Amino acid sequence: MAFSSAASRLPLLLLGMIALVTGVLAGLARLAVDVPSFAAAQAGNHGALMIGGFLGTVIALERAVALAGESRLWPFAGPLFAGVGGLAHLIGAPVVLTQFLFIAASAIVTTGSALLYLRQPAMYLATLTLGALSWFAGNLVWLVTHTLLPAVPWWLAFLVLTIAGERLELTRFLPTPQTVRHGFAAIIFGLLGAAMLSLWLESTGLSLFALMLVALAAWLLRHDIARQTIRQRGLTRYIAVCLLTGYFWLVIGGLLGGIGGLAPGSPWRDAALHAILLGFVFAMIFGHAPIIFPAVAKVKIPYHPVFYLPLTLLHLTVFARIAGDLASLPTLTQRAAIGNALTLLAFVLTILVRVFFAKAR
Amino acid sequence: MSHSSALPEPDALREALREVIDPEVGINIVDLGLVYRIAFEDGVVVVEMTMTSPACPLGEMIADEVDEALRRHLPPNTPIDVRLVWEPPWTPEKMSEAARRHFDRRR
Repeated sequence: MAFSSAASRLPLLLLGMIALVTGVLAGLARLAVDVPSFAAAQAGNHGALMIGGFLGTVIALERAVALAGESRLWPFAGPLFAGVGGLAHLIGAPVVLTQFLFIAASAIVTTGSALLYLRQPAMYLATLTLGALSWFAGNLVWLVTHTLLPAVPWWLAFLVLTIAGERLELTRFLPTPQTVRHGFAAIIFGLLGAAMLSLWLESTGLSLFALMLVALAAWLLRHDIARQTIRQRGLTRYIAVCLLTGYFWLVIGGLLGGIGGLAPGSPWRDAALHAILLGFVFAMIFGHAPIIFPAVAKVKIPYHPVFYLPLTLLHLTVFARIAGDLASLPTLTQRAAIGNALTLLAFVLTILVRVFFAKAR
Repeated sequence: MSHSSALPEPDALREALREVIDPEVGINIVDLGLVYRIAFEDGVVVVEMTMTSPACPLGEMIADEVDEALRRHLPPNTPIDVRLVWEPPWTPEKMSEAARRHFDRRR
């Protein structure tokens, strides 16, 4: 079957990686770092490349692999469209092409997730579906308004709900009371309601959205199984450390956003967004790459304590970046952002070296 | 194990699957209640197992690990068929007493 082999999935992953590299360089260009011209030209598309082109491709691929067990091919159109959407940006195609490709990709991920929910109507599958739907909504908002800014809360909701849904799934191992689950649902609906409100009442909506992120982080810090699994060893403990430290950044980002930091033009916007997107989302990626990457690409990545090195670098460079933003020290922000980029490079190299050792064994 | 020896009992194979660990929770798939059925059907070792979530991409990989773990306990070239099934859906009640205690005592 096509796409059951690693050889057919790796090109999809590669499309995501191209968007990641260009997106990171485009982000540095925004902070006046000299980068190659192909990336500098994408400075305005940093968010679209990182969230749609990179994370969209990777999450769509992850969902497609989960659905593939039933000999279905169409879910793989999700990562394909998202990846090609990122690529279309790079070759200078009209933005509307990328917008339509991202809309198609998010529609496919939403459909796949909804099918899973319909078969097994569990709250975590509803959360994943609402996450994919938020990506779709954000892409529509981008298409209709011709600007990225109003799409950002929806794109954040996409990532946050996807992660929260996966974490909720794992809380089933614990005896979690029904009222606590209702609390989770209330936070999710509050988050989506705030994203909706931000379309009309921008600053109020964004502040409310950010406070819902704090509530969600508090819920996860209290109920995630990471609190149990951190007492395990090896890979399981490492994943738990990634999660719990990531939740800390979600709290920080949410608090900064709660006092207006998510509003376009706010001096704290860079700090609020990158606490969430780098500190929280990438800590999650660092934690789960050693199990998701083997599942997608069918190569083993044996655990090694060296995994803690890129994680530590991530937290240090995010801290430096936020400090630079809050203290109005643009040079510090810029250097920290270069540190963020080098951290991602260190992470990718760590993974590749571990894959190499696994093969050599 | 030599060719002449009898195939192990399904219960012994179930024990063997305790080597397969869910990396996220650090507990083996047998105690998590993910292994539904192990049987010999016309000389083929059939394993029916599930995942805690149909949205989880680890299914294929864990099925491969199940295959590898069984091969270490079976005569060479014994055909193995690992099937991922979603009916009935996994529920927390399927966990062993040991797994439940593990999570409970940490509360």
